[in-house]
Amino acid sequence: MPKRMKLTRPIGQFTVGAWVLLAVTVLIPIFYGIYISFLDIKLSSFLPPQFVGFDNYVAAFKAPETWATLKITLIMMVVGMLVQIPLGMALALVLHRNLKGSKIFSSILITPMLLTPVAVGLTFRFMFDTDLGIINWVLGFVGVENINWLGQQSTGIFAIILVDSWQSVPFVMLLLVAALGSISPQLYEAASIDGATARQTFLKITLPLITPTLLVVVMIKIMDFLKLFDTLFMLTRGGPGNETTTLGLWTYKTGFVFLEFSRAAALGVLIMIITAPVYFLWRRSTKENK
Amino acid sequence: MKVTKKEKFSSYFVLIFASFLALFPLFWAFSTSIKDRVDTYTLPPKFFNFTPTLKNYTSLFSIDAFPKIYLNTIFVTAMSTLIVLVLGALSAYAIARRPSFKGRSSLEALMIAVRALPGIVLLLPLYKLSSFFGLYDSLWALILIYAGFNLPFAIWLLTSFFRQIPIELEEAARVDGASNTRMFVKILLPLAMPGIVATGVFIALLSWNEFLIPVIMAGENSKTLPVFVAGFISNRTLDWGPMAAAATISLVPIVIFTIFIQKYLVAGLSSGAVKE
Repeated sequence: MPKRMKLTRPIGQFTVGAWVLLAVTVLIPIFYGIYISFLDIKLSSFLPPQFVGFDNYVAAFKAPETWATLKITLIMMVVGMLVQIPLGMALALVLHRNLKGSKIFSSILITPMLLTPVAVGLTFRFMFDTDLGIINWVLGFVGVENINWLGQQSTGIFAIILVDSWQSVPFVMLLLVAALGSISPQLYEAASIDGATARQTFLKITLPLITPTLLVVVMIKIMDFLKLFDTLFMLTRGGPGNETTTLGLWTYKTGFVFLEFSRAAALGVLIMIITAPVYFLWRRSTKENK
Repeated sequence: MKVTKKEKFSSYFVLIFASFLALFPLFWAFSTSIKDRVDTYTLPPKFFNFTPTLKNYTSLFSIDAFPKIYLNTIFVTAMSTLIVLVLGALSAYAIARRPSFKGRSSLEALMIAVRALPGIVLLLPLYKLSSFFGLYDSLWALILIYAGFNLPFAIWLLTSFFRQIPIELEEAARVDGASNTRMFVKILLPLAMPGIVATGVFIALLSWNEFLIPVIMAGENSKTLPVFVAGFISNRTLDWGPMAAAATISLVPIVIFTIFIQKYLVAGLSSGAVKE
């Protein structure tokens, strides 16, 4: 039956281009990265690279910076999510009321997420400036002394989370608006007939139904906080010292500032291992969708 | 759901306050960029009571490398977006229309790896490889890496656009004996044009904003705008005027762009996370 043949015509060749590009930019680098993590490539050595086994991993585990920067990454991740998810949710709930002008407000509110993070970081750096910054000036009205925001760990981490939130809350909001929009209005009607309070409606209807989206948000946020680089680089560069350095930025510094290439590659492999659970969860969730 | 007057009032209050927070930094970058040094370095800050000047912009444009940097950014953005759209549309067609085909699962595995892995993990080996092949500081190396890193987003987004096109149209063509290629070119592409444009805009935006790839892979020859903007900060004396001008100049095209394509952006921004 020739017609049936046509219905199942192979289509894999359509994806060859994508496959090749991803092989070159993703697959080969992953394996090459693993390979150089077992060598001793660094600037200070002019000898041909030697195979050193797990030395770089042992060194990475022994280095206090690895754990310190991992801890900072996790703090930013957890605090960041605690700030961004409730705020995104609140804005989504307000937008979901579909008041007059909601569309214009949502256009305005998503603007921050589209902007160049580097330029955003620069702008906020000026706003956080100790002497000239508008943030300290505003805080001055409520009697807060000038704060050296970017010059110390606690306020530095806070500032980084704040700027990241400025750019990411709209994203959380956007996903949750879509999730809220997919809940059938009949459920709410039934609830109001039964005399449910707003609080009950939220806890018993809204929250359970948007939980899948919330889990997606959490997964994306975990990935994005591991990726965090641009605004962090612009605001503090991980300073003072390494006090606001994340594991990703530490890997960058190890490779491109201290030029300890193989050491950095080993840190890269550690990041891969840390990312693996999210990777598999994400993979499973996209498969279930089909 | 009925909204009471009180709820309405508080909703507008929240929306207006949030909008103010969303827009103020943009306003502040712009207003700093048209202020004279004296007006910038003063407290209380001057919001409107200053004489605007273009000094900061002229000093920015007088930097010899600036035009080249701007052109580099446009070129890399345009070329990588083009590559992403061509390869992305082809793959998205296959994924949207066939539940399984050879190579599908490995392709999807790679796509998710790009989403999950921090760029630095891939860029460290890529930097080594590209210097080995003499591709360090070349625009084409940038273009390929931008394209590779952005391709998965494009595929996810385009797949959802392609799925919205009724499959009956293709089935009819199939009965007439059309090949995959013919159906793709004659039926899918024209119908999916709005989606392809939206994807292109979204990918161009990501490329325009990209910092980590060029900061590692670009030297003086292939430097892009975000690297240039970031370079201001390493100077010991912080000169906020020209800095704000540089920030503004990289933000303005985005703001103008997004006003025109608002409607598509929402779909683009949530791609890869939207449930189909």
